[in-house]
Amino acid sequence: MNRKLRALATVSAISMAATLSTPVFAQAVGTASGTSVENTVTVQFQVDNIDQTEVTDSNEFLVDRKIDLTVTGDGSVQSRAPGADGSPVLVTSPFTTFDVTNTSNATLDFDLSATDLTAGVTVPGGGADNFVTSGFQFFLDDGVAGFDPATDLPITSLDDVPSGDTRTVYVVADIPNTTTNGDFGGVVLTATALETDGTAITASPTNVADDPNAVETVFADGAGATDGDRDGAFSAIDGFQVAAAALSVVKSSTVIWDPISGNANPKAIPGAVVEYCIAVTNAAGGADATGVTISDDLTIASINNGIQFYDVAATGAGTVPTANFLVAGDDCVPTNTLANGETVTEASDVITGNLGTVAAGDTETVLFRAIVN
Amino acid sequence: MKQAFFRRFAGFLALPAAFAAMAAMPAFANDAIELNSEVFVERLVKRGARTAIQLEKPKQVLPGDRLVFILRYRNSGERPVQDFVVTNPMPEAVRFQETLDGTEEVSVDGGQNWDKLDALRIPTGNGRSRPARAADVTHVRWNILQNITKGSEGKLTFRGIVK
Repeated sequence: MNRKLRALATVSAISMAATLSTPVFAQAVGTASGTSVENTVTVQFQVDNIDQTEVTDSNEFLVDRKIDLTVTGDGSVQSRAPGADGSPVLVTSPFTTFDVTNTSNATLDFDLSATDLTAGVTVPGGGADNFVTSGFQFFLDDGVAGFDPATDLPITSLDDVPSGDTRTVYVVADIPNTTTNGDFGGVVLTATALETDGTAITASPTNVADDPNAVETVFADGAGATDGDRDGAFSAIDGFQVAAAALSVVKSSTVIWDPISGNANPKAIPGAVVEYCIAVTNAAGGADATGVTISDDLTIASINNGIQFYDVAATGAGTVPTANFLVAGDDCVPTNTLANGETVTEASDVITGNLGTVAAGDTETVLFRAIVN
Repeated sequence: MKQAFFRRFAGFLALPAAFAAMAAMPAFANDAIELNSEVFVERLVKRGARTAIQLEKPKQVLPGDRLVFILRYRNSGERPVQDFVVTNPMPEAVRFQETLDGTEEVSVDGGQNWDKLDALRIPTGNGRSRPARAADVTHVRWNILQNITKGSEGKLTFRGIVK
């Protein structure tokens, strides 16, 4: 008996391992529920060495319905900017990625619900949750890898998922604009098994005598991130890391010429030319800043008292600086030239610099010259 | 041999209460032999710190469940019976594991060839083959060599797993 029990234990372990590994393959998990298992035994024998009519007996039962499922997040955080949201839903909207696998032995529907991850709980692939995700919308992957709201259909549940099949679900969420660089926020997706007509599944009571010819329902699922054992539901976490652009601006000026001293130690006297440099720096480790524009209105007397744009060449000592000097570059060296499509323009003493994208860790500059009134 | 059977079964029967219900065997229409096939689900049940095996009627049966098939026979005729052969094809949804007594022959090709499992092989193409495994078994049978005298009875048991 002991040997038999050991053998049994071994077989049991193998069986469990096979069950766990099954979701990897898109094939039915076990014998389909409702399958009739009929066992027939036949006896042949002789009496007085004469063959007698065979005797047979059989019994039959139905394989019951095992409700089991898994939900898994993709295990990594998605990098998105503060205030990124799903209104409207774009490829660039914040989304989390989950796989829902039907490991039951029957085709089922699955209800989908998402909640904000409890603060302090670790977001897989990131750190402790410290902001609230909201505005959840579900999309079913169309089989082409990657989220594309143009082809991935908006859904609220999964319809008719065969035994062993996996569906990839994207959960689009809103990130508050109060978040800062390095914040983490998680989304909990819970899938709940439903009948194929979308109604709730009730497990068969265990205290009622069996009808061997009826298919019963047994919850066999494990506990996910926030749900319990054998509740017909499974949950998992996926989330975001906030990557903000941290821009800083420094404005500096140098007197480069005056009409009396020329280029040697010029003073900011009336008629002197002053070169301004506006440097925009995007801190390293954040997101790229896009659409960066700089505007400097020289007519605002409280800021730019007594200067105007140097658009007409002056006269005086030394080498007179070039007029209409407008340059975009990546530092405050005056010889720098326009690069990467940036533009600097002037109209009515308002300087406008369009710097486009300032990558994390980069500095871009706008240089112009003004004359002291 | 019959006594050997019963010694083995004595240990087996000590576990399940479900067997008590089987004492009264239903009669089957045959002049000489009564035959009864039953199936049970084998469950591990926690009883305090100990784990017991319990046999249940096939109430809730799920993929992966362990089944115990019990074939009972009795000579209810007036004459001894010879060349007694009990044949049981495996149901499609059940994977054979083992018999309780180990005296069986099995087939892995739908009942065409019979032998001990470790003497059978499965062709794998190109003239090659591999040893047969329990999961390959399609039929199981017992050839009971000695006479079964009037009134005597026996049981044959095998295990399987719901695929």
